[in-house]
Amino acid sequence: MLIIEHLTKRYGQKTAVDDLSLHIRPGEIYGFIGHNGAGKTTTLKSIVGILRFEEGRITIDGHSISEEPVVCKQMLAYIPDNPDLYDFMSGIKYLNFIADVFGIPADVRQERIRKYADLLELTNDLAQPISAYSHGMKQKLAVIAAWIHSPKLIVMDEPFVGLDPKASHLLKEMMREHCDAGGAIFFSTHVLEVAEKLCDKVAIIKQGRLIKAGTMEEVKGDDSLEEVFLELEAE
Amino acid sequence: MLKFLIKKQLLEIFRGYFFDAKKNRMRSKGQVALWIIFFVVIMVGMMGGLFTVMALSLCEGLNAAGVGWLYYALMGLVAIVLGAFGSVFSTYSSLYLAKDNDLLLSLPIPVRTIIISRLFTVFLMGAMYSAVATIPALIVDWIIIRAGALRILGGLIWFLIVTVIVMLLSVTLGWVVARISLKLKNKSIITTLIAVAFIGIYYYVYFQAVDLIRDLIANAAAYGSQIKGAAYGVYLFGRTGEGDFTAIGIFLAVLAVLCVLVWRLLSRSFLKIATTSASAPRIRYREKTHQARGPLTALVLKELGRFTSSSNYMLNCGLGVLLIPASGILLLVKGGEICEILDLVFTARPDTSAMLVLTMLFLLSIMIDNAAPSVSLEGKSIWIPQSLPVSPATVLRAKMLSQFVVSAPLMLFAAICGAAILKTSVAVRILMVLMTLAFSAFSALFNTVIGTKLPLLTWTSELVPIKQTAAVAIALFGGWFAAILPVGLYLLVGYQLGAAAYLAIWIVLLCGIDLLLLRWLDKKGAAIFAAL
Repeated sequence: MLIIEHLTKRYGQKTAVDDLSLHIRPGEIYGFIGHNGAGKTTTLKSIVGILRFEEGRITIDGHSISEEPVVCKQMLAYIPDNPDLYDFMSGIKYLNFIADVFGIPADVRQERIRKYADLLELTNDLAQPISAYSHGMKQKLAVIAAWIHSPKLIVMDEPFVGLDPKASHLLKEMMREHCDAGGAIFFSTHVLEVAEKLCDKVAIIKQGRLIKAGTMEEVKGDDSLEEVFLELEAE
Repeated sequence: MLKFLIKKQLLEIFRGYFFDAKKNRMRSKGQVALWIIFFVVIMVGMMGGLFTVMALSLCEGLNAAGVGWLYYALMGLVAIVLGAFGSVFSTYSSLYLAKDNDLLLSLPIPVRTIIISRLFTVFLMGAMYSAVATIPALIVDWIIIRAGALRILGGLIWFLIVTVIVMLLSVTLGWVVARISLKLKNKSIITTLIAVAFIGIYYYVYFQAVDLIRDLIANAAAYGSQIKGAAYGVYLFGRTGEGDFTAIGIFLAVLAVLCVLVWRLLSRSFLKIATTSASAPRIRYREKTHQARGPLTALVLKELGRFTSSSNYMLNCGLGVLLIPASGILLLVKGGEICEILDLVFTARPDTSAMLVLTMLFLLSIMIDNAAPSVSLEGKSIWIPQSLPVSPATVLRAKMLSQFVVSAPLMLFAAICGAAILKTSVAVRILMVLMTLAFSAFSALFNTVIGTKLPLLTWTSELVPIKQTAAVAIALFGGWFAAILPVGLYLLVGYQLGAAAYLAIWIVLLCGIDLLLLRWLDKKGAAIFAAL
């Protein structure tokens, strides 16, 4: 589904991501962890085509994000760490805008909006302007917008920040459901307990370099993910 | 604590002079000095100059007619209107919408102290606006009348009275705006219409001012006695400036009562409005089938939605929406006579009137420049178009089209009106209409190109990309240049070709430029946008 090969991204003299390679297969929830400034967001933004990178190759379902960005973006959804949405729109207008751009038929989008907005308890707020939304409500709207076009790959940067416990729980269920249906999810998080329970695979990044990746068992063994992470960070 | 809050307020007001928001750093001392000089030149030199001329034309005549009080009454009323209406929206924002209201209210600071510090800002802003009229009025009066100590003292108290009235009016009007905005739908449209109405009234009064002043001076005594009889308060107000201490005493007493009333109003409502202002009236969601649209249409509608959601955006980049059709109607009503006169003046250069009509329309179309700040307005949301399955070229085309679909139909209407009243050949009329379309396309493309080339995404207030970027300035000045170039060249050499041939050449030229600009947007512009 998602193949990252020797990704290198530099900001001037600073190398933010250094020769990073990963393979995320259909059906996998892949966690991406690392300390602040390790290169997680840069990697995620490179995957979704927001950032250009100097070296390496990223392909989604066999299509290169650099050479066929529109084809790749049609297959993926992205939720950034801070959901800066179009404040001048109402929630429903934003969802319809996203659905229009992805070419989702009217009846299909209506059904999906109803399903996910009801699930995340946002239906009553859909007519409100986004400017009146709390951070958590914006996050929920970004989640619905991501799910509305049924993407193959969902890339999320700290998706649980701002969500209430119930919404967090629902999002985890949605993630699992999505992957059980053949999709894939690659997301960054600082909440190691969530990563440990939710992810099939995990990658740890430090100073732009991948220091460990694999199934949860391969990475943590008999220890907790937190212990392994702190140990690797200290090295 | 009050001192600290006032200092904070002052820093906020004058932040623009010390801090460069575009570069996110403090300005150098030289830049600070230049900004302050710029402000002084604008306020004192230009605005103050206008009111000095007004004061000079009123002062001597009214004093000679024995109604010197009318001079102070008129200049005071002008200052009050300028101060109160100039600061009403900033009063509303600074009192009730201040971003740090929640923070300050959560700290152990008495609400009264917060209100006083906010009022100080309102007072200062109102005083600054009104001083543009009151200070020239005082100086002119003192020099012309050769004022003594009592009149100077009275003038100073009059100045203080005006500033306090401005503050009281600003606070009251700000309170009304706050109350209305808590319940209002389509705030941006209504704000825009109100602002446009004020601009219209302002220009109407401005153009009538010379006649009004002349009439007033000629009949000063008669008007004076009428006003004194019908509005004694206005008479007393004018007398304060002349140093009448009975009038001063009455006015200060009335103002003190009004201050107490406004304070009670404010202290009772401040907490409620300040803490509920963020909550808009709840809109009930009713599920309905949305008509699916293509990506380009969705993007264009998104741009238009952005445009109509903000009164700042509409006022600064969309005034042409009202002025272009108005000019079309004006052409139908008065254009025939004017064009006949123009044709007589430019007999050696036939069809100059057609070129001048076109130039007027071009200049008005420059007042629709919503494409220029649209890339910058993406701001922190730029990740949305960048991560969606649309090419950057499509995003930029949508921005360009969002201006074209607004300006082109209006220009078409006005051009047809112009073509209808001109006494010229059918070919010139048709070419005129085509030329307006080519120019609308050029303007939309040029503004999108400039906006893409000079983006600013790190703003904290939307006013910065809408009003204060190089892109908008170039769009405006470049647009003006492009608007007058055809008529300039026509008057110099183009008339020798004949208007039809000249216009045909320009249309071909503009279409060629349009294609080049479109190509730039699709290639280089798209690359720049993708890399933002």
